[in-house]
Amino acid sequence: MSKRKFNKTSKCRFCRMGIEEVDYKDIQNLQKLTTTQGKLFSRKRSGNCAHHQHSVKISIKRARFMSLLPYVT
Amino acid sequence: MNVRMYEGLFLIDNAYASTEWENVVKHIQDVLQKNGAEILKTEKWGEKKLAYKIKGHKRGTYFLIHFNAKNSAIVTIRRDFQLSDYVVRSLIVRDDKIEELSQIGLSEVPVEKDNSKIPEIADTVLLETSDVPAKVSDGI
Repeated sequence: MSKRKFNKTSKCRFCRMGIEEVDYKDIQNLQKLTTTQGKLFSRKRSGNCAHHQHSVKISIKRARFMSLLPYVT
Repeated sequence: MNVRMYEGLFLIDNAYASTEWENVVKHIQDVLQKNGAEILKTEKWGEKKLAYKIKGHKRGTYFLIHFNAKNSAIVTIRRDFQLSDYVVRSLIVRDDKIEELSQIGLSEVPVEKDNSKIPEIADTVLLETSDVPAKVSDGI
């Protein structure tokens, strides 16, 4: 029972959704991975795997450039 | 010589977007076609509030376009858009999967992990995607 629960929560959110690469246009999901100041959450806080944390980092920076997300608030 | 698929997102000055949208779209398509690009799909996002001021603009209209182009032509395409009056800011990114990305961009609905709901959401998203490009092409 507890083992199954552990397996469910152990995957990162993008692995669970089956998304391969995070899209910079998907602002609703990216906003959940930033603080109220607009800073990126750490890998420990967001629970993302290495692959997805890397693509989150790239796509947040792209979204910031296009003014979809703030640099600082 | 390599032809690749690219995705460009353009932030367009609202003064031009509200008055002469057709000219703006034509200008962007002309620049791309002049550099030998083949346009696959266009999509207009509505007017949005910007996260921060760019050159005094507080609001802007986004225009998304998918195209095939030679990798050597991208440098000149980027420079042409920097010189353009209509385009406030532009981002051109290499893109391999046109359908999946456009679905995410259109729907803006976070896909839940619940398996039973996914087919329904996917169906509605597909309907939306089939409707919206038709409207856009009429407008052009």
